Amino acid sequence: MATASPLLDFDVAALGQKLRAREISPVELTAAYLDRIEAVDERVNSYITVTHDTARAMARLAEAEIAAGNWRGPFHGVPIGLKDLCYTKGILTTGGSKILGDFVPAHDSTVWARLAAAGAVLLGKLNLHEFAYGATSNNPHWGACHNPYDLSRIPGGSSGGSGAAIVARTAAATIGTDTGGSIRIPAACCGCVGLKQTWSRVSRYGVMPLSDSLDHTGPITRTARDAALMLNVIAGYDPHDATSSREPVPDYTSRLGGDLKGMRIGVIRELTTGVSAPVADAFNAALKQFGALGATVDEVSIPSFVEGAQVTMVVLMAEALEFHEQWMRERPQDYGHDVRSLIETSMTISAVNYVRAQRERNLMLAEALNALEKNAVLLAPAQAIPAPRIEDRSYDLVENMVRFTGPFNATGQPALSIPTGLSREGLPVAMQVIGKPFDEVTVLQVADAYERARGPLPQPEL
Amino acid sequence: MARLTAETAKAMARELYGYELSDDAAAAVANAAGAMITRSRRLGNLDLSGVQPPFGYPTLLAEAERIRKRS
Repeated sequence: MATASPLLDFDVAALGQKLRAREISPVELTAAYLDRIEAVDERVNSYITVTHDTARAMARLAEAEIAAGNWRGPFHGVPIGLKDLCYTKGILTTGGSKILGDFVPAHDSTVWARLAAAGAVLLGKLNLHEFAYGATSNNPHWGACHNPYDLSRIPGGSSGGSGAAIVARTAAATIGTDTGGSIRIPAACCGCVGLKQTWSRVSRYGVMPLSDSLDHTGPITRTARDAALMLNVIAGYDPHDATSSREPVPDYTSRLGGDLKGMRIGVIRELTTGVSAPVADAFNAALKQFGALGATVDEVSIPSFVEGAQVTMVVLMAEALEFHEQWMRERPQDYGHDVRSLIETSMTISAVNYVRAQRERNLMLAEALNALEKNAVLLAPAQAIPAPRIEDRSYDLVENMVRFTGPFNATGQPALSIPTGLSREGLPVAMQVIGKPFDEVTVLQVADAYERARGPLPQPEL
Repeated sequence: MARLTAETAKAMARELYGYELSDDAAAAVANAAGAMITRSRRLGNLDLSGVQPPFGYPTLLAEAERIRKRS
């Protein structure tokens, strides 16, 4: 087991205070993270590129600025990692692919530009499922990413490196992307918090697309509070992304720290069936916990969600085919088998079904809004099973994972994955907290209250 | 021009839409579809990188609200 620096014990909220008070040095903190990457990442494989020199230079700058009294905020001097789908100017950005194996962008993604402006330190670019098109992060080009709780298992995907790095303590916070569950699935598999905020809330500029109308870029963190702090930095209109929202950006930490007295919470009936015993047991225990926190929990029905994941998959596959079509003609041999097969399968989706799936999204959101009329948030398991073994091919990804997460890509609602405990095998299980469009404040309030009541999870031994 | 056989046109119409094409219709569809596929390939050569499709969340939200009020 690798010895870890006590500096790695602090979440972003704590780091922000200690860095500001100069109790911790950004240079020492960054060195501790780089040492940790050196010590454990050969086994976890959460990084494709570690930006040692960039990280040290950014840490030195942060140290000088804070010492001069120019503290930029809670991320100033905090070491983070980015999914290798996010453009970083002058730094290799592969998309987890062979096709872009030597691609170096000429500009930053907006999400990284905002974090950099907030003083964050870039540790590197994180491993993922090739082109974010899958949920295992078994990457044929850059190596499989491993789950820190059990290295023989997947970390989920597609943002597998972003989830694994949080619990392996090889980054204080990370950025992932989510098209059918790719933030929430790795967060669920790895035992951390993953927030897919409302579609259009965070700019997608400079993030390689998988499916334009379903893609989200968002935080993966240790706690709900850290997710709120990160969303405070990255949310907001971006002139580079015409689809980004002009809705005002609130302070996402504004309702953290309280209880849930008098709050009504709905459990989505259609998403509580077909889950394994460890997931169901922990989910039911969480429901009791909400009662103890003062909330009233009732079942709600969203009938269109029975086929919700299929709607998401039709849109996703059709839009992904449009993005990959030229490479498929010119370089099909450079795709991994599973991603190439998915793109080939996409060729059978008809234009009629694509348009109908887009229209069905309206009905799904209408039903979801009905369910939220009397409830502040909705709850559902994050997936049916704990993380499978890397070589396991016996489970159905859509049925066991995307079925639970995909509907909220179709509706664009905020959905946050939070651990509900560990299974008997010591694997994380999780639920989702789902809110009204642009009401991340309530989602984070509920997740934070539950998280404090649940208490910390045992850390994986690496 | 891309080549599509009448049998393929028949199978696609049957499997995708549950529609039975006659032999004559299938031959005409195969011919026309071949030409259309060839023309549509030009779209694949357009440089649309960084250009967003016309999809907006306000539209999705507004239509969902309208459906809710109607039901």
